[in-house]
Amino acid sequence: MGMISEEKLKILTESAKYDVSCSSSGSGRKNAGGIGNGYVAGCCHSFTPDGRCISLLKILLSNDCIFNCRYCMSRADSDVERATATPEEICELTIDFYKRNYIEGLFLSSAVVRSPNHAMEQLLLTVKKLRTEYNFHGYIHLKGIPHADERLVHEAARYADRMSYNIELPTERSLKLLAPQKSKESLLAPMKQLQRERRIFREEKRKGHFLPAGQTTQLIVGASPERDGQILRLTQSLYRQTGLKRVYFSSYVPVVHDALLPDTPAGALREHRLYQADWLLRFYGFDAEEIVGEDGDLSPDFDPKCAWALRNMHLFPVEVNRAPLEMLLRVPGIGARSAYKIMEARRYARLGSKISKKCASP
Amino acid sequence: MIYFYDGTKDAFLTAFLLAYPDEDAVLVSGAKQLSIGQKTVFVRADPERARRAAIRLLELDKDCLHDLDLLLRSGQKDRDTVAFEYFRLIAARGCPVRKMLAEDAVIAAMECIRRVGFEVHRFHGFLRFMECESGALYAPFSPDNDICDMLVPHFRTRLGLFPFVIHDIGRRKAAVYDGEHVFTAPLERAELALSADETAWQDLWKKYYKSVNIPSRERLKQMRSYMPVRYWKFMPEKNENS
Repeated sequence: MGMISEEKLKILTESAKYDVSCSSSGSGRKNAGGIGNGYVAGCCHSFTPDGRCISLLKILLSNDCIFNCRYCMSRADSDVERATATPEEICELTIDFYKRNYIEGLFLSSAVVRSPNHAMEQLLLTVKKLRTEYNFHGYIHLKGIPHADERLVHEAARYADRMSYNIELPTERSLKLLAPQKSKESLLAPMKQLQRERRIFREEKRKGHFLPAGQTTQLIVGASPERDGQILRLTQSLYRQTGLKRVYFSSYVPVVHDALLPDTPAGALREHRLYQADWLLRFYGFDAEEIVGEDGDLSPDFDPKCAWALRNMHLFPVEVNRAPLEMLLRVPGIGARSAYKIMEARRYARLGSKISKKCASP
Repeated sequence: MIYFYDGTKDAFLTAFLLAYPDEDAVLVSGAKQLSIGQKTVFVRADPERARRAAIRLLELDKDCLHDLDLLLRSGQKDRDTVAFEYFRLIAARGCPVRKMLAEDAVIAAMECIRRVGFEVHRFHGFLRFMECESGALYAPFSPDNDICDMLVPHFRTRLGLFPFVIHDIGRRKAAVYDGEHVFTAPLERAELALSADETAWQDLWKKYYKSVNIPSRERLKQMRSYMPVRYWKFMPEKNENS
C-alpha cells in the first residue's frame, strides 16, 4: 500500500505551510459516484495553535527546487532536507484523510523540480489521477508553476476547483531582486490565460468543469519596501481587471537569513489591517483611493473603516431609519450582515438607538 | 402557571394551546426550581389538539414549524421560554414575525436557531470518523444541540457508498446510514473492531497537524474561540494520549 512515511509528510508539509490560502469555498462540484463533493460556503476542519484553520491538506509534491527565491525556505541553495512524494502517495493520503473527515480537499503545490514543465506535469498527473482513478470529487486547489507551458495550465484547470499563482512581491523591481527567476509576466500571463478561458467556458456553457472556484493569489507583506497604498491598489486591480476571487496577504516571517531581506517579521497587525481594507474593497463598496494614499500606510491605531470615518466626520451621524444601504455599510461598527438586518427590521418598526445596537451585534 | 411538557413537538403544540391565553404562562420541558405557591400542570401530547394547533399556526406562517423543530433541538436552558414567546408573538400578530428584529422575542428565537444551525455547520468540519474492519465509518461526538440526524444528508452525499454511524454520546442516540436507509436509534455504547490501518492514519494526521502549525505565531485564544475545547475530546489531533 502507498502510505506516505511520517518523515516525508513532515518535510512536505513544513515547506507548504507558509502559503496562507486555505479556503475551500466557491465550488458546488457534485459527487459523481465516488467520494467527495464541494461545499460552496467552505468548511474548516480543525484549527492549529497559531489560530489558522485547516480546511485543505496543504502539501508540496516536492520541495526540490531549481529556483532561488530569496525568501523561500525551499530555495535551491538552502540547506534543508529534500523529499518528493509520488502521485499515488498524495492520492491515498487525500482519500484516507477525506474519508475520516479530517480535510475538505487537497491544496497541492510543488517546488520547481528539474524544470517548470516537469513540475507542472507532475502536479497535473496527480490531480488527474485523483479525479479519474480515485474518483475523488472533493475540493482541489492547485498551485500553478510560473513559466510552464500553456497547454499544461489549461488541462490542469479542467481538474482543479481553484488555481493560484503567487505574485508574492508587489512590484517588478522587488521581484527581480528577490525572486530572480520569476518575472511579473511569468505570473500574470497564466492568470490572464485562465481568466480568459474560464470566461469562454462559462459563456459557452461547456460540459465539465473549469476552475469553478476561480483564482487567487498571495502577496508577501514586509519583505520588500512597498507601502500599503501600493499593495491595495494592486489588490483592487487584481479584483477588477483580473477577476480574482481572493488576494491573500502573508506577513513576512524571516525563515531564511539573507542580506537582502529584513531580519524582523512584519507583524500580525499590518497583515490584519490589510485584510480589513481588503474586506472594505470586496463587501463594503470602498475604493482603494478612499482608504489610503498611494505612498501611505494604514493606521495601526484605527481600523481602515474607522479611519475613513474620522476623515469624513461631516457625513455623520447617520439616521438609521433613512440612510441608504451604501451609507449604513460605511458606519464603523455596522457590518454587512447588520446593515442588511437593519434594512429588514426598519420596514416593520421605527428603530431607536437601543435597537440599532442590537441589530449591530452578530 | 407552569406548564410541564416532554420536549416533543406535539406536546409543545398541545401546551401552547392551553398556555396561550395565560399571561403568566411558563413552558418547561426539563427540571425547574419551583417557588412557593407556583401552580403547575403536566401537559401530555394530544395528537388531535397538536394537529389543530399546527394547522392554525401554519396559516399564520407557513415556515413556523421548521423554526419550532430547530428551537426544540436547542440545548439552551431557556429554549422552551424562547420558543413559547416566539410562537405567542406569531399568534398575536397573525403573520410571520422572523424579520421583526425590534422584538426581543424574535431576536432571542433567531439567535437560538442560529446556534443550532451553526453547530451543524461546525460538525460538518469537526466530526471525526474512524474506519471499522467492515469498511463502515463510525463518528462519536457530543454536541450541545440535538443534531445527529441533521448531519446525515451532508455525509451521505459526500461519502457515497460508505455506510456510517454518527453517535451522540451524551444523548445516547445515533443516526445510521446502512448504505441504503437512514434511521435514528437509541445507542448506549458501540463495540468497535477498527481496521488494521486506522491507528496509522490517525498518527499521520497528528503528524500533519503538528507540522502545519507555525509555532512562532502562537495564538491559542484564537484557536479556542474557533474550535471550543469541549469539542476536542473526539478529535485525534487534540488527543495526544489516546
